[in-house]
Amino acid sequence: MYTKTILICDDDEGILEMLAIILEGSGYTIIPVQNSLNIYETIEREHPDLLLLDLWMPVLSGDQVLRSLRNNPQTHELPVIVISASRDGQKIAEEAGATEFMSKPFDLDFLLQRIHQYLN
Amino acid sequence: MNSLQNGAFDLSNETTREDFNLLLKALDASISGIILTDNRLPDNPIIYCNKAFEIITGYDRSEIIGHNCRFLQKEDRDQKERAILRDAIKNGKNCVVDIRNYKKDGTFFYNELFMSPIKDENGKVNYFIGVQNDVSLRKKAEQDLRKQQELMEKRVAERTQSLKENEDYLASIVQTVRESLIVLNPEFKVLSVNDHFLKTFKVTTEDTEGRLLYELGNGQWNIPALKELLESILPTNNPVEEFEVEHDFPYIGKKLMILNAHRIELEGQYKDRILIAIEDITDRREIERRKDDFLSIASHELKTPLTTIKGLVQIMQRMVPPGLDEKFSSVLDKTGVYVDRLNNLIAELLDVSRIQTGNIELHKDLFDFDKAVHEAVETIQVATKSHQIKISGSTNENVSADESHIVQVINNLLSNAIKYAPDHKEIDVYLSRVSNFVKLSVKDRGMGIRVEDHKKIFDRFYRVGDIQQRFPGMGIGLYICDQIIKNHGGTLWVESELGQGSVFSFTLPLNKHAA
Repeated sequence: MYTKTILICDDDEGILEMLAIILEGSGYTIIPVQNSLNIYETIEREHPDLLLLDLWMPVLSGDQVLRSLRNNPQTHELPVIVISASRDGQKIAEEAGATEFMSKPFDLDFLLQRIHQYLN
Repeated sequence: MNSLQNGAFDLSNETTREDFNLLLKALDASISGIILTDNRLPDNPIIYCNKAFEIITGYDRSEIIGHNCRFLQKEDRDQKERAILRDAIKNGKNCVVDIRNYKKDGTFFYNELFMSPIKDENGKVNYFIGVQNDVSLRKKAEQDLRKQQELMEKRVAERTQSLKENEDYLASIVQTVRESLIVLNPEFKVLSVNDHFLKTFKVTTEDTEGRLLYELGNGQWNIPALKELLESILPTNNPVEEFEVEHDFPYIGKKLMILNAHRIELEGQYKDRILIAIEDITDRREIERRKDDFLSIASHELKTPLTTIKGLVQIMQRMVPPGLDEKFSSVLDKTGVYVDRLNNLIAELLDVSRIQTGNIELHKDLFDFDKAVHEAVETIQVATKSHQIKISGSTNENVSADESHIVQVINNLLSNAIKYAPDHKEIDVYLSRVSNFVKLSVKDRGMGIRVEDHKKIFDRFYRVGDIQQRFPGMGIGLYICDQIIKNHGGTLWVESELGQGSVFSFTLPLNKHAA
């Protein structure tokens, strides 16, 4: 059976691990990425069904990544949930073209519900 | 006076005796004392005195004739006027002196003595005429006047000194304040500036005083906002306080200044002068900005591991095998509650800091109010198993507001409703449009709030006394909500009675003209 793939991009290792546990436990295939630099190659190679994206990351910020994805016809429609602890995250995420924004710390049940909604 | 012909007596005339008596009567009628002394006799004795001389001196004629004039001086011989008299007598000249004399009863008087020699055809002085007046009153008046003048002069000197001291004192205050001060005349010419002005704007007194404000330093003070203040605002609104001006100065760079301006309205030499106090808040703003930046970064960094902790706790809650001790679930639930509380504290710290420095930034956008409320409620409901949140009513309005801040307020009111009503499951949210406002109310059936606390709960760090023990918190949540709603031009209030639950409501204005 084909499992949906979720790409998680966050510079914090703890969050990557935690999300991997819950999302794998919920039956998804997880690709954790700690560095946003090579994210385009990863997306091209793996064709994820959804992206969980942090905002404040070194070198390439989440909103920069998101803008590029939205400008690319292949990733234009990719569901992207932005997760950030930044106070102004919602505004930044919406302007960059996020499908959904969740402020850290988020509720796992709520996140799962949303992911399920986008992937089915 | 038949013997007086053309100013000279004709002594051959028969009427001489009669005329002589007439002249003696005239002499006695004079109010000036008149004497004759015989210079040819030893010690120049008095040989004649009139009535007035007797009255002035108090002596009888018999006590006067034969004495030298100096008998009136009694013991008071050390007078410089005597030298003048002596000199006049020796040289046969006229003289006038004010000499201190004493009457027979010892009373002192000032004698204005006019002395004139009478010479024979060879120029030899045979007699002296002395004309005397008691000028004590005049002398006293003169002395009093002089004393008064001296007193006045002393007072003026004292007053001048005191004014000068006062001026120096005020000037030293003006020079010591750590704020720039400028005084302008009504034509905006600089009359004076203080040291702090010179230091802050790196100029000299010569560059500044006596010049037009707008022309200072090649027109670097020709600032539109300042012009507006001086020419448009100040003439009608005097004084002006806390007027913020930002300007990029050619040499010293960008300055953020707060100005107080005051035009002197009192009549007098200072009328219409303009005083400007300038506070340079460039550095303060920069420090505030850095503090906000620091708190933003700190809160972001604190929330990141908190996200992992919260997630892991929730994973554990899912992994609890059936049949395990209830305590295990309870411990996990509590851990979750405290993680949420810690998260709120971090958020509140950042908000309070921003509100205190007045930097609460509102990013106003038009958004669907009902939709935002439904989403906020849904987010909370998903994470809250203990309570049921029911929404009724609608506004059907788009509001121009900062959505994330408004959602924050809604979250805070809902969290409070849940927190303070642990034993009552229902929470109601009402939406309505009232006049040109949207209104949201959150109703719980919890412990309620005493009327006397209704206002205080919106104060910073205020906590209702007996609540402290059972429901810990910092007491800033409602303060932040209140500030956010106020900043949007709305109101936040509570209706409640102890034990009867609470209804928290807020309104937001519908501004049809705002985009």
